[in-house]
Formats: sequence, C-alpha cells, structure tokens
Amino acid sequence: MKNNIKVERAIKNLTQEELANRVSVSRQTINAMEANKYVPSTVLALKIARVFNKSVEEIFILEKKD
Amino acid sequence: MSRKLLLANKYKKLGWFILIPSTILGLILAYNEFGLDWLWARVFAIANDGKEGKYMYLSFRNTNITNTVVGSFFIIGAMLVSFSKEKNEDEFIAEIRLSSLLWAVCVSYILLLISFLLVYGTPFLDVMVYNMFTVLIIFIIRFTYILHKNSNSESDEK
Repeated sequence: MKNNIKVERAIKNLTQEELANRVSVSRQTINAMEANKYVPSTVLALKIARVFNKSVEEIFILEKKD
Repeated sequence: MSRKLLLANKYKKLGWFILIPSTILGLILAYNEFGLDWLWARVFAIANDGKEGKYMYLSFRNTNITNTVVGSFFIIGAMLVSFSKEKNEDEFIAEIRLSSLLWAVCVSYILLLISFLLVYGTPFLDVMVYNMFTVLIIFIIRFTYILHKNSNSESDEK
C-alpha cells in the first residue's frame, strides 16, 4: 500500500510533527508511513483522512502486491 | 500489544540511571571477579550447596553478594528501560516493540544454541550467566535503534 501523506501535508503546509500532534501519534509514525515502512491501523488512516478533508481512498492506495 | 503492561514514561529515565552503572560494574565483574568487602550478607537460599555434593534446600548461608546486587540492578534497570512507555507511545511504536521482542527472543536462543553446541565444561557456566541478560540487551539495542532510525528524517520540510 502506498500513500500520499507527504503531498497532502505539503498542500496543507503541515510539518510531520504538526500532523503527528493532530492525530495523536509520534512523529516517527508519520515518518515511517511516508517512507512506506508502516501500514497504519484503520483508525489512524481515518483520522489522517479527516485532517486532510479527504476520503481514505484518496490518501491510501492499494498496490498490485497487496 | 497491551499498553496496560507498560510503565509510565518517567521510569525509562530511572531505568537508564540504574542500567548504565550496573552495566559498567557488570563488565568489570565479568573480567575480574571481585567481591566488595562490605557486601557480605546472610542470605536465604531456596537451593544451595550442601554436604558431599548434595543440594540443600530452604537454608541460610553467608556469602558475598556483589554479583547478586549488580546482576539484580542490571535486570531491574533493563526491565524499566524495556517496559516503560515512550513519550508518545502509539501503534507504530507498539509494533516496533513487539517485533523487537520477537527478534530478541529469537536471536538470544540462536546464540544459546550455538553456545550449547560449542561450549562445554566450566565455561558453560559463563554462557548461562550471559544468557540471563541477552534477551533484554538485544531487545533494548534493537528497539532503540529502530526508533532512532525512524526519527531521523530529512523529509520534514513543509
């Protein structure tokens, strides 16, 4: 699964730290997700989508191997 | 991983305060056995050496407890470091914690198996002593490393 958190973050002008605070996780988590090293829980994915005012599918995209 | 089993974040610092000096003392002890004169005590033992090579159960004995004290502090310190929450304990950190535990148990047993096959006689006693601590040591190294790796990012620009 890939995601465009980094792009959405740039659009909203948020740092990793700011986004992390908004969804109450550590900055490491945002960092790991952006590096595609961590697949978030459904709850976290929904929270992130809500910060960006988008649907989950617009931010998290399934890949062929999934 | 259930976060209820973890201690509050403040215990992590306390853990390092105990762990670092006891690691240093432990390493000194490993290379040259010494007993501090003031650390003699009468201790209760569930099992102990008895007469004619037999075991003696539920008894008291006088012994130097330097090893016991240093080893106990090491275990307490390492447990506090291992099982205290991070400042911002979340699902990703819980995953690293769990995978590091798996890693630590696995690596520790591989090391034990290798030593079990290759070390015989009295030196095996040393293997047993090291094995008391390997799970916690490997866990702390791996967990700290992965956390650290993920907090370094060049991509934190807006």
